[in-house]
Amino acid sequence: MEQSNIINLDEKRDFEVNSSNLKHVRSFCREVFAKLNINQELKDELVLAIAEAAQNIVKHAYNNEQTEDKMEIKISVSDGHLEIGFFDKGRPVEKDKIRHRKIDDIKPGGLGTFFIQQIMDAVVFKEGEKPWINHLILSKNLNN
Amino acid sequence: MTYKVTEEGNISTVHLDGEIDMDVTEKAKEIIMPLIEAKKEVHLNLKEVQYMDSSGISVLIESHQKAMELGTKVTLKEISKSVLKVIMMAKLEQILNLD
Repeated sequence: MEQSNIINLDEKRDFEVNSSNLKHVRSFCREVFAKLNINQELKDELVLAIAEAAQNIVKHAYNNEQTEDKMEIKISVSDGHLEIGFFDKGRPVEKDKIRHRKIDDIKPGGLGTFFIQQIMDAVVFKEGEKPWINHLILSKNLNN
Repeated sequence: MTYKVTEEGNISTVHLDGEIDMDVTEKAKEIIMPLIEAKKEVHLNLKEVQYMDSSGISVLIESHQKAMELGTKVTLKEISKSVLKVIMMAKLEQILNLD
């Protein structure tokens, strides 16, 4: 990976919580990652991880129900350390119930969390500070 | 996502185009499943699919399993690099029919 010229940045955007906005989430990520001197393959993986996490908010925090709530996604890079924050006001995440399906158990569903864990170095769920309910942090060292 | 279906004998080829995410999976299933239920051999041409997430992969698994159940077959054709990467990340390259 090209390690030079990874700039520091801090960008956030709000998105309506529904499946038709996932493409806008991806566009935002692509815009931000275009500013980073990392290879395209890694950019594509990061976009996938972020889109999967956003999809989980739509599917699980909001049970795919219509809402006027927005979620916030914040992408920060500092000294080659990437941190992506997801903030939502949906149902509180039950951390104990989050697990991907066994990868050799071939059935539809349950792969999103597996992809996130494959791509990122760390996945941390926190209680959100008001007004947020959930705060998910994905992180990755871009210098590796 | 847009699509085009071509027929040749008992083979239906579905050419998918665009990005396949949770927002379009129902549409994708509505296109593919009736062909499988009609016991057609289905070729999914993924050359023009630039992005696929876990929801899209679920459609591929569901289609594959339904076809096996009905004694027919789904084959993935001209898989784009980005889709192949996700298939491999899901460790499905030995499970799905890739051509």
